[in-house]
Amino acid sequence: MSATRSPKVSERVAPKAADPQSEKSKRGGHDDDGPDFRTLLHAWLESHRSSLLDSLRRLGKQPIGSFFTCLVMAVALSLPMGLSLLLSNVERLGGSWQRAAQISLYLKLDANSRDGEALREQIKGLPGVAEAEYVSREKALEEFQQQSGLGDALRELPENPLPGVVVVTPAEVDKPALEALRQRLSELPKVDVAQLDLVWVERLAAILKLGDRFVFGLTVLLVSALLLVIGNTIRLHIENRRTEIEVIKLVGGTDSYVRRPFLYMGALYGLGAGFLAWGVLAFGLDWLNDAVIGLSGLYGSDFALAGVPAADGLSLLLGAVLLGYIGAWIAVARHLSELAPR
Amino acid sequence: MIRFEQVAKRYPNGHVGLHELSFRVRRGEFLFVTGHSGAGKSTLLRLLLAMERPTSGKLLLAGQDLGQISNAQIPFLRRQIGVVFQNHQLLFDRTVFNNVALPLQILGLSKAEVAKRVDSALERVALSDKAELFPGDLSTGQQQRVGIARAIVHRPALLLADEPTGNLDPRLAAEIMGVFEDINRLGTSVLIASHDLALIARMRHRMLTLQRGRLIGDGEAGQ
Repeated sequence: MSATRSPKVSERVAPKAADPQSEKSKRGGHDDDGPDFRTLLHAWLESHRSSLLDSLRRLGKQPIGSFFTCLVMAVALSLPMGLSLLLSNVERLGGSWQRAAQISLYLKLDANSRDGEALREQIKGLPGVAEAEYVSREKALEEFQQQSGLGDALRELPENPLPGVVVVTPAEVDKPALEALRQRLSELPKVDVAQLDLVWVERLAAILKLGDRFVFGLTVLLVSALLLVIGNTIRLHIENRRTEIEVIKLVGGTDSYVRRPFLYMGALYGLGAGFLAWGVLAFGLDWLNDAVIGLSGLYGSDFALAGVPAADGLSLLLGAVLLGYIGAWIAVARHLSELAPR
Repeated sequence: MIRFEQVAKRYPNGHVGLHELSFRVRRGEFLFVTGHSGAGKSTLLRLLLAMERPTSGKLLLAGQDLGQISNAQIPFLRRQIGVVFQNHQLLFDRTVFNNVALPLQILGLSKAEVAKRVDSALERVALSDKAELFPGDLSTGQQQRVGIARAIVHRPALLLADEPTGNLDPRLAAEIMGVFEDINRLGTSVLIASHDLALIARMRHRMLTLQRGRLIGDGEAGQ
């Protein structure tokens, strides 16, 4: 009984125990009234703050491991995002070519310049036409002489064999609409032949469509891999903290309290991976750009790769944080039931 | 405070942990539960902590039916209970202060309130000067006292202890029991599962004796 107690402890405890009433009244005071909203809000914010700081501290304790986890996630993120950005660039390039998609109306040889100008004015007013330009027979021959290098030979011809041309730029590149427009233009008076060549546009569109599907498939695959990576990483953290979790649950920690630091950890991994992926993409596109500029210069184009737009970069960051959070959520949800105190 | 009414616990493998157990514990009572290994002491504590549910019968704790309690309510039930384990269950990567503060952090109390209550709890178990040490730096008896401080820091209505003196020498065991008595004097109900009959006999509190899941004795220890 108490006589066997160590005096050291009992002496220190006794003064407190001598007044049980005051302790009981303390217990029955504020606590039993239930906390007010402000206290609850403060508790909630404090819990989030400490969970976030704890997660940061734990990641900081293993900088190499944390960095490599982020790097693996960043690679998984940057592959589909990089391909998507490259496709966007190709689409941009293709778009400029598409705008050059034109219908050439070769006029009958008896059509003079006045007929050609009148036809141009008429065509410009048609729906679906963005621009129309008349090239007279004389100008066509002059250009041909310059471009073909057959100037002297052509001068020997008894008469100009080239017809006048009205070059029509359509308002939009849509195959059925373009075909309908071509048909309509071919029926105009003085028009001999209306020519539309869309094969290359179609091929490019098909390649881009294939690219889009490939990027989508790759995205699904790599996002799944990313969720597995983050899930596995969080599972290891859970395993390392099993005792702590069991104790927390035994002293009244809710599932959300247990879950919180892991969710922050997942989100922080995502944030790190997002920044890394953004950096890798920006560097990668910049590195490729020199070669692209050189190549496009050879084709007389000033085309250059666009970098990572800020909106895309921010979306990448947000997506990475969200994926980290979801991956952590799945991992904790899967393992939380196994973490019942034993 | 606690009411067992024909409470039974059977496990899926056929083992029966408790046979129709019935008894009551008043608020502020000090109670020992004793019996050999496998008698059902730990099962009883696990039921009170809602780590398991009774197979049949009614188990009431502070008016709550633990057979019907939802999973979401369990953490809030446990906040009314303090638990002391034989193996202490301390977190060795946290200081003594942070181990004891854990229940208060879960409650979301302010830093100042946490500090005040942790200091008070550590003072109660005579470990004020060890607050910044880690559990690994302490003796077994001191670790057990840290576990007790953590169990009482949130001023629970009920304190459960599972073989709290199991690893301690007789002098330390008596010292720890003294701490439990002091806590009980403050109004906390204390239920201790122990098979240390010699120690229990010296303390002259109510004692329940279990044998193979059945209650075979209910009276004052030492009689």
